[in-house]
Amino acid sequence: MNRAERRNFARAMLFVAPWVVGFLFLNLYPFLASVWYSLCDYSALSVPVFLGFQNYADLFRDPVFWKALSNTVLFALFAIPLGTALSIGLAVLLNQPVPGQGLFRTIFFLPSLVPAISLAILWQWMLNGPVGLVNMAVRPFLQAINAVAGTSLQAPDWLNDPNWALWGLVLTGLWGTGHAVVIYLAGLQEIPVELYEAAELDGTTPWQRFVHVTLPMLSPVIFFNVLMGIIGALQTFAVPYILTGGADGPGRSLLFLATYIYQHAFDYWNMGYASALALILFLVIVVLSFLAVKLGEKKVHYGGR
Amino acid sequence: MLLAGLLAALVGCAGGGDRDEKGKVVLEYWEKWTGHEKEAIARRVEAFNRSQDKIHVRMLTVSRIDQKMMLATAGGVPPDVVGLWAVNLPSYSENNALLPLDRLAAEFGISEGNYLPVIWKLCNYRGFLWSLPSTPSVVALHWNKDAFREAGLDPERPPRTLAELEEFNEKITRKNPDGSLERIGHMPQEPAWWMRDFPTWFGHPVWDGGNRMRMDDDACRKFFGWLESYPRRFDGPAMYKLRGAFGNFASPENPFFTGKVAMIMQGVWMDGFIKKFARPGFRYGVAPFPEPVEHPGAPLTVAETDILVIPAGAKHPRESMEFIAWLQRRENMEALCLEQKKISPLREVSADFLARHEHPYLRTFQELAASPRALPALTIPTFREFENDLSVYTNLVLLGRMEGEAARMEMSARQQKALDAKLNRWNRVAPVRTAEWRKEVGS
Amino acid sequence: MNRRHPTQEAITFALLLAFGFLFLLPFLWMVSTSLKPLEETMKMPPEWIPSSFQWHNYPDAMRAMGPFWTFAGNSLLLAGLNVVGTVLSSAWVAYGFSRLDWKGRDACFFLLLMTMMIPFPVVMVPLYTLFRDLGWIGTMKPLWVPSFLAGAFNVFLLRQFFLTLPRDLSEAARIDGCSEFRIFWQVILPLAKPALLTVALFQFLATWNDFLGPLIFLARESHFTLALALQALQSTISGTPWHHLMAASTLVVAPVLVLFFFTQRTFIRGIATTGLK
Repeated sequence: MNRAERRNFARAMLFVAPWVVGFLFLNLYPFLASVWYSLCDYSALSVPVFLGFQNYADLFRDPVFWKALSNTVLFALFAIPLGTALSIGLAVLLNQPVPGQGLFRTIFFLPSLVPAISLAILWQWMLNGPVGLVNMAVRPFLQAINAVAGTSLQAPDWLNDPNWALWGLVLTGLWGTGHAVVIYLAGLQEIPVELYEAAELDGTTPWQRFVHVTLPMLSPVIFFNVLMGIIGALQTFAVPYILTGGADGPGRSLLFLATYIYQHAFDYWNMGYASALALILFLVIVVLSFLAVKLGEKKVHYGGR
Repeated sequence: MLLAGLLAALVGCAGGGDRDEKGKVVLEYWEKWTGHEKEAIARRVEAFNRSQDKIHVRMLTVSRIDQKMMLATAGGVPPDVVGLWAVNLPSYSENNALLPLDRLAAEFGISEGNYLPVIWKLCNYRGFLWSLPSTPSVVALHWNKDAFREAGLDPERPPRTLAELEEFNEKITRKNPDGSLERIGHMPQEPAWWMRDFPTWFGHPVWDGGNRMRMDDDACRKFFGWLESYPRRFDGPAMYKLRGAFGNFASPENPFFTGKVAMIMQGVWMDGFIKKFARPGFRYGVAPFPEPVEHPGAPLTVAETDILVIPAGAKHPRESMEFIAWLQRRENMEALCLEQKKISPLREVSADFLARHEHPYLRTFQELAASPRALPALTIPTFREFENDLSVYTNLVLLGRMEGEAARMEMSARQQKALDAKLNRWNRVAPVRTAEWRKEVGS
Repeated sequence: MNRRHPTQEAITFALLLAFGFLFLLPFLWMVSTSLKPLEETMKMPPEWIPSSFQWHNYPDAMRAMGPFWTFAGNSLLLAGLNVVGTVLSSAWVAYGFSRLDWKGRDACFFLLLMTMMIPFPVVMVPLYTLFRDLGWIGTMKPLWVPSFLAGAFNVFLLRQFFLTLPRDLSEAARIDGCSEFRIFWQVILPLAKPALLTVALFQFLATWNDFLGPLIFLARESHFTLALALQALQSTISGTPWHHLMAASTLVVAPVLVLFFFTQRTFIRGIATTGLK
């Protein structure tokens, strides 16, 4: 580097310095420390004692870890496709020339602003078995089915039933999907009208136009949102933690990796084990994101831009 | 400008010495109580402060106090005195979060002889004294006399064996036309606060006090068998649905007051809540919680106690101990227990205390506490892990989603492993730790 | 899409009405419950309009939470500091990543993007010990100081925006002898107002809604945020005084909704652009 380049570099460093400091102390150091703690027995109240790979060996033989992992992945598998379908559906509806478009957009968007703590408490109440609003709505349908089919279906006691608790959480997530609706709506509005006109001239049905024009044109947006959704869903903590009052939910059906990490770190003070769990969570995120990106490269249509 | 203002506000918050304007040492005392229990301790703190020219205690109510205490202590900023539960002692002491009190207690003239034996036992762990009691509890059966009468049972005669309790249970339980429960005689998950101690009623606690969980032994098998019988008799989901509509504990909607549950295991404080919240004329009785076989003369109970501890690293241990010791004096302790409507942890109880206590069944509780079969509650190093597992497995069994035996075996294996891991870790640090503690207490 | 069937339009509208109703219901239910007497919350079938409006549920719930205004003040203070910290530091850093040319810039930027993949639970234990060693546990510092160190996502957003501003702007200013700092402060920042406002709004929301951070870093009740105090209320009351919980929840949601109604346009535009990248 010559003098000018050095000056240039120094000046740039002045600008990026806050990030460099943040990177070193808030990302790099904690990450490396996590790796070290994961090889130790550590409680924050005494010095770490080296254990080798003991924590990892324990982890793979810990059925609760596998339960938390499968809950986490299952939740992502249910919540993301359902959320994506619902928000694209709503965005497509909103994109029609109907009265009150802005008002509807606001209504769909509002729930995504609700803080996790309020959201969880509200849905704990909504999903209450005997007197919750959700079951109030579900019961008439079930009674109708029972009357016709002679079955004896009963409204689930959502948060007390190991088979239903996760679905309760998915429902909670769907209510907060408005953020994505706004994004998809903006994406839809960027699709050139000529494409639809050309398709219409070819005599296509609305469904064909949706599949062959809307979806491909929207695919980069969908891809980005699904990727962000994966990273977010795998870190789910606040809502299930509050829904269950800090416990695991019936049959551990609401135990997620992030809650299990928190439990080991700040409830049992097994910070070594917590760190090992945390690194597994990190690996899962990296692998799934990588897969999503690989898949995205094949399927996502960037041609239109 | 805005930024400067905000920063100034923050700096203002961060300051705050540990001496007040008169030069008294200010102690930060965290407590868990709310409502009338908080008012009672607040009056004691006030009385202590009036009696002092060197120390001022500032009490704060802290929710989830056990977790917050660890966060603060591990974070290097512990409060001076904390009101915990005896069940916290093993894991907190082994984690190096507490100060051993043997020397300080002796200096203030406090010794084993002052306390009910079971209470003193609960305050100690691994040969060190970690805490002194604030208010103790022993549990007993509470039954709703009106529910008994409505079921055609003698309202003055409580069940004397567990089999009898279940017999009464089925007589009292009423169902709605749609199959849901209107009232249940008894269910183990209400209030579920002592689920961990039920095995004791079947013969022995779940831990041998050393390195073995006793979950594969007889008592635990019977306990899980008992749990398993509930969903068969009452429909598991229906019990949880009933429970989902229960009101707040400290309210007129408490299921015991509304008659939704007729028999519960509860502590001596219940009378205070009944007087405050239950409808006038609510009639209830108290008796030892029944065992499989009757033991006349030596009733079984499990004792627990609220405790006061000094966190490791606290800045004023001597002053803190002065406050704790003051509260241990009979007149102060009795004033606290009287106002909190509890029994006294002390061996000697004044006639005045007995005379002034409003509890109609105080004698039953005092007898239980002094009984040779008043056993200490489960205080195990893996307490949190055990509680967490227990709630998951008992929930599954009570719902009818898992067989009792399968749940017991799975949990037994898990808990033995958790205990092994804890003890392994402890054994590695034990020599150093105990040496430190010995130095601390000067023995 | 110009030739539309009236029936199709009617169906669309009906669907929107139905979904809109479904999305609004929980809010109505929350407010309705918050104004009921306790006995009525458990009534079957439920009444939407309370028999008598129990406005005192609100002050009652606030009292049950403890020093409500302290918690509200803490939330506001933290949100304010985080907004200031994030906007200033992210813009400053984004400037370095977009409007200056230097060796290793792209590699560093790639590193920055990668850090977005590290979830908070992975770093929370070491951060706790780090803050302890700095003497920050027992203060509110862990929850605002880091915001002055430029979060990756915000840097990314602002960098994208800065790149769209013409290069000539800076060149002209440099020829006039402006320092780089003055170009940043007087030329670029004023032009970036909409992007900065977006970042500010999102940061406000993120801080106001944060739960895990306060849960592990705040050891003193006097430092609690509203979110944490609400959770403490939920965990201390056994049973179900739903009217109080709903009143308290409404109080935590309300400021966010008010903020939204005043800044709707920025909000929607901000989300639309951030989601499309």
